[in-house]
Amino acid sequence: MNAVLQSLQPPARHTNEDEEDAWGYGNLDQRGGVRGMMVPRVPDPAAFLNLHTDSISSNPAAKIKLAHGTTTLAFRFKGGIIVAVDSRATAGSYIASGTVKKVIEINPYLLGTMAGGAADCQYWETYLGMQCRLHELRNKERISVAAASKILSNIVYQYKGMGLSMGTMICGWDKTGPALFYVDSDGSRLKGDLFSVGSGSTFAYGVLDQGYSYDLSDEEAQELGRRSIIAAGHRDAFSGNTCNLFHVRENGWEFIANYDVNELWYEYEAKKKAGASQAQAQKDEGMAVE
Amino acid sequence: MAAPGGGGAYSFSLTTFSPSGKLVQIEHALAAVAGGTTSLGIKATNGIVLATEKKASSLLLDTSVLEKVAPICPNIGFVYSGMGPDFRILVAKARKIAQAYWKVYGEYPPTKVLVQEVAGVMQKATQSGGVRPYGISLLIAGWDSHRGQSLYQVDPSGSYWAWKASAIGKNMVNGKTFLEKRYNDDLSLEDAIHTALLTLKEGFEGEMTENTIEIGIVTVPTAEQLQEKPGERLPPTFRKLTESEVKDYLSL
Amino acid sequence: MEYNGGSVVAMIGKDCVAIASDLRLGQQSVGVAMNFEKVFPVNDKLYYGLPGLATDVYTLREQLRFRVNMYRMKEEREITPKTFTHLLSSTLYEKRFGPYFLEPVVAGLTTPTELEPKPKPFISTMDTIGCITTPKDFAVAGTAQDKLYGMAEGLWEPDLEPEDLFETISQTLLNAVDRDALSGWGAIVHVITHDKVITRQLRSRMD
Repeated sequence: MNAVLQSLQPPARHTNEDEEDAWGYGNLDQRGGVRGMMVPRVPDPAAFLNLHTDSISSNPAAKIKLAHGTTTLAFRFKGGIIVAVDSRATAGSYIASGTVKKVIEINPYLLGTMAGGAADCQYWETYLGMQCRLHELRNKERISVAAASKILSNIVYQYKGMGLSMGTMICGWDKTGPALFYVDSDGSRLKGDLFSVGSGSTFAYGVLDQGYSYDLSDEEAQELGRRSIIAAGHRDAFSGNTCNLFHVRENGWEFIANYDVNELWYEYEAKKKAGASQAQAQKDEGMAVE
Repeated sequence: MAAPGGGGAYSFSLTTFSPSGKLVQIEHALAAVAGGTTSLGIKATNGIVLATEKKASSLLLDTSVLEKVAPICPNIGFVYSGMGPDFRILVAKARKIAQAYWKVYGEYPPTKVLVQEVAGVMQKATQSGGVRPYGISLLIAGWDSHRGQSLYQVDPSGSYWAWKASAIGKNMVNGKTFLEKRYNDDLSLEDAIHTALLTLKEGFEGEMTENTIEIGIVTVPTAEQLQEKPGERLPPTFRKLTESEVKDYLSL
Repeated sequence: MEYNGGSVVAMIGKDCVAIASDLRLGQQSVGVAMNFEKVFPVNDKLYYGLPGLATDVYTLREQLRFRVNMYRMKEEREITPKTFTHLLSSTLYEKRFGPYFLEPVVAGLTTPTELEPKPKPFISTMDTIGCITTPKDFAVAGTAQDKLYGMAEGLWEPDLEPEDLFETISQTLLNAVDRDALSGWGAIVHVITHDKVITRQLRSRMD
């Protein structure tokens, strides 16, 4: 009972002084648990962080700007799960990178997406991968997507209010079939068929909703994911550059391809124009017959 | 209710049309001009000369302080015939107009623009309530990059003309006749200055000396003079001749 | 400035000047239009760009149109780039305590006169309340200002012929706005020479 209680306690706030009893790797203890993050030694760490970063509020005067804008999406369909993301990282209006990997490969059966604080997502989803492997070794079977996402949501909940910023989708295939969970740093954890996260999510939902069906073929589903990211990359200032597309099937995930958002956009435009002129030609023909 | 100068429905302009369509106040103002000392201006191929006689009512007056030719801005100068006090007011207004123009455009007004502004001021005095027309005619000489050197006359009514040469004041009729005979299109500035002195001499009462006349000139700048140098102002294109310069011209 | 986004750059060449802008109009992060021009002609020798708040772009453009037309009629001549810069500066300073959110860039050739027969390239730029700077090389403004400085500093060289100047300003603009989230979505370039103005739309990244 004590052990259960202890595991539910928030992580101890360590400072530089009690370093000597740490003999794991980094801040991991002997058992691989996170022993607690270093926290600035101020009365209110959250307020301190708020002052210097824009991770909690969108404090524009913040000195440290964290990557914010993103478009990520994932949806369940009969062929598994499609995961598509953009690759832009911005700091203020500056495009800091156009080649960010926003899909985190937790293990061969699990994918996590990255929105919000890039480092938060990367760190905790990698850590989640570690916990999933431990689960596998302990129980001689793969962890369910539900359990994996719950581990993550429990961790971020422990740090609630301290400035963690992540909106992620945990995607995988387990005994129950394709499974998709949305987890964010407020502590929400939702099971669903279709999610999109980030500043460009509204644009992605627009395309997604009009084209989504559970019975999509693999090709149709991949095209829908791709098209949605292109649309968001086009409209949203903080999304774009390239699109990474993944497909989760029964035997694990597959990386489909990396696409240049700009090139695809021009392709779609050309197709749209060709379609329009063809329709006009048909209309003219129809009128000529009449 | 109808307090003088207080505005309101009964404050009519002093210049009200007579039944015959004349504005007598303006005619009276012109009479004031015609009674004033003679002034003249001549445009030359490379500049303009403005000249006027400066008469002192008493031997005891310090004539070096009297100013009848006035620089308005580095490229424009005025001379007048008529009422001295009215001239000072108009000069002050014109200088303000020139500075306001400089403030907006970063350069001084072209001659024509300043003439239009000043003519506007004079016209307003023929139509506003509680005022009288200015009792002067102006000769305005200036240089600008757009039109080069130009010479204008502005009357109390606000009418203005561009002249090759003109005279105003007491001797204007004789002066103009004289100028018509003497003027030609390829006059140099030096010739023009001498012609101006000769014209002034016609009907000059008393002795013509550096103390009894005033001269202002417009010169056309060279390309080198127009070159902007950091921390330096462009040299003025209008300037008054000093007493010694006037003396030299008179002795020739 | 960050509300609608957008950037302008101008460069001096050999007997020519160039001015270019992106075509994006946004509302914060959302792109709204990709045909929003920020560079306008005063005459065929003088252009100016107004990056900043879109509503002020329209207001100031009309205000300047009015003032330049009044100038044209009163003075019976075309306004010079230098005089236009001063007019623009005074117009901005009139709103010193409630400024237009714009950072204008002016580019033009002086009209040849008898005394100055060679048309001289001229560029200038100013802050929101009209403080003028007249660079000898290039002027940049807008949300991609710092990125434009970086590109222009690296690419610009003196005495570029019109076609080379076009290439330089295009590469400067395109590569700068590709690092700015709030600029891009198309681009347009004007190269002003003594006998013509070359205007071209660029194919740029649309994300």
